[in-house]
Amino acid sequence: MLVTWRYRQRNSLVQSFDPRAWIIFFGCFLASTLFFWDLRYLSFFFVIALTAVFTSGVTWKESRRAWLFILTFVTFFSILTFLTGRGGMELYTTEHIITQVSAPFKIFGWQPTLWVTAERIMFSISMFARVFSIASMTILIPYSLNPSLYGVTFRRLGMPDKIAYGMDLTMRFIPTFGRDFSLTMDAQRARGYEIEKISGGLFAQVRKLAPLVVPVTIHAIVGSEDIIDAMDLRAFGVGPRTWIQQLTFRRRDIALIAFGVAMLLVSAALSLFTYRLWVPDFLLAMAGG
Amino acid sequence: MDRKLVSVLLALVAVLVFFVAIALIGPLVNPALQLDETALLRFVFVGIGLLIVFLVYYLTRERKIWEVGTREVVYMAIGAALYAIFSYLFNGTVFAVPSVSQVALRPAIAIPMFFGYAFGPAVGLFTGAVGNMFGDALTGFGLSPQWSVGNGLVGMIAGMAWLFEDKKKSINTVIILSVIVAAIATALYFLNRNQANMVFFDPENNIFGDQQITLFAGLSALVGLVLVLVVRYVFRSNIDVAAAVTWSMLGNLIGIGFAAISDIWINGFSPAVAIVGEFLPSAGPNMIFAAILVPILVAAYSSVQRQTGR
Repeated sequence: MLVTWRYRQRNSLVQSFDPRAWIIFFGCFLASTLFFWDLRYLSFFFVIALTAVFTSGVTWKESRRAWLFILTFVTFFSILTFLTGRGGMELYTTEHIITQVSAPFKIFGWQPTLWVTAERIMFSISMFARVFSIASMTILIPYSLNPSLYGVTFRRLGMPDKIAYGMDLTMRFIPTFGRDFSLTMDAQRARGYEIEKISGGLFAQVRKLAPLVVPVTIHAIVGSEDIIDAMDLRAFGVGPRTWIQQLTFRRRDIALIAFGVAMLLVSAALSLFTYRLWVPDFLLAMAGG
Repeated sequence: MDRKLVSVLLALVAVLVFFVAIALIGPLVNPALQLDETALLRFVFVGIGLLIVFLVYYLTRERKIWEVGTREVVYMAIGAALYAIFSYLFNGTVFAVPSVSQVALRPAIAIPMFFGYAFGPAVGLFTGAVGNMFGDALTGFGLSPQWSVGNGLVGMIAGMAWLFEDKKKSINTVIILSVIVAAIATALYFLNRNQANMVFFDPENNIFGDQQITLFAGLSALVGLVLVLVVRYVFRSNIDVAAAVTWSMLGNLIGIGFAAISDIWINGFSPAVAIVGEFLPSAGPNMIFAAILVPILVAAYSSVQRQTGR
């Protein structure tokens, strides 16, 4: 049984475009965002991501889990980099200390001290903007891309028939196997297997993962025989494939692609010169330098 | 040359011209501009990786193993979806997977290895590359395309066992190659023992890829190698298992090696950081999974094959 993503027709900005146009735009957006650490540029992408999310028609109720996961993840890592200053070392070399907070106690002679520096503040904000933009645009895809269009979308993006169909199946299988995995885990739990309490040395622990990994994998392979038969019966791969739905670019799709490509080119050009972190002057002034 | 190839080449030249032009014109507009090519390089390395894949394919294109039929298309999709799901579930955000001596459990890597070995290099390549991409998308991490290509290489090389007539001979060559790579990496570890383990994160204990690499993690490539050799000789009568583990090991060393080495330019790591801090703690444990999980999968699959007669 196939489980599907929570797609439905929505009256939204994302769905008003051809799926190919949106995928191309998404690719350009992703690549462009990765070029920057400078908050001034990142805020541009952040605004695009927010616009896409708020016009997507995806309700909080149906996407709550995904959002909570992303928000926890992003916030956690931003705060973490802020507290420890880890991760930004490639982007800045000097730090300007604004204030330092020391704990009023000592642990084994070590006093926990939090260095608040201009660079760390900007790094965690930039990190938040960057990861949030990418993640939220990615979340939107399964909610807004019609599963019956996956194959033809990838095909018309220029992939060969077989690869396009492979991508189609991959996207369809992911939720199915996710469910299979949780079923397998429940079944093994009922028999007393607990992944949370795997014990033993490293080798024993790896071996004890087999009761989860092997059934899911083998079940998927065995179950695929039906799909293979169905495809063979319809003479898959014998001649050029036709698709029941046709996709046509309208003017707005061309405009979106043009915008995406222009965005990518400009970002790539700008990124040749500004990959570094941007720290506003007032923060430096607060640090006294 | 056919038209498609020409248009691809023209597009590449156009991109190149664009960047050269930008790099030349930029400083004229603003003399303070300085080239900072870090972000762009990751895409350059994707190109290099794909070029390697294309070369291997081109040199062996006559072989039947590269044929992609219905069966392969479905296996590609299954492999990629499974890899994405497993890497999402076991990356530490969904399950708090235990870790031993800085080695976190990431069993997902067994999937591209097994699919590559069982169903051929094309399936392995797709499983590793697309699976890693979707896995990253599920987690919400930014994408590191060079790691996708690296994972694709893992699967592809695991499947290249089938390119050799004499599997037994190929195993010996593979082992020699792997021993050399593992020995170089381990020697680098002993020269840089104070290097931090870049891929070990343990937020609860305030460790974010900055703890000094442990002896076990540093030696993990060697431990993995020994484990693979043990499996190879214990199962010497079962050529399938022996070939699967050894080729998976080579695929892992080359694929992860490619991604880690490309980080020397992409993230500006020094070679020591890339090899000792990144390559060893990720490729070494992967070999442990290769040695334990891949044989289990191969054995399970061959009994399924016997049952269904396919």
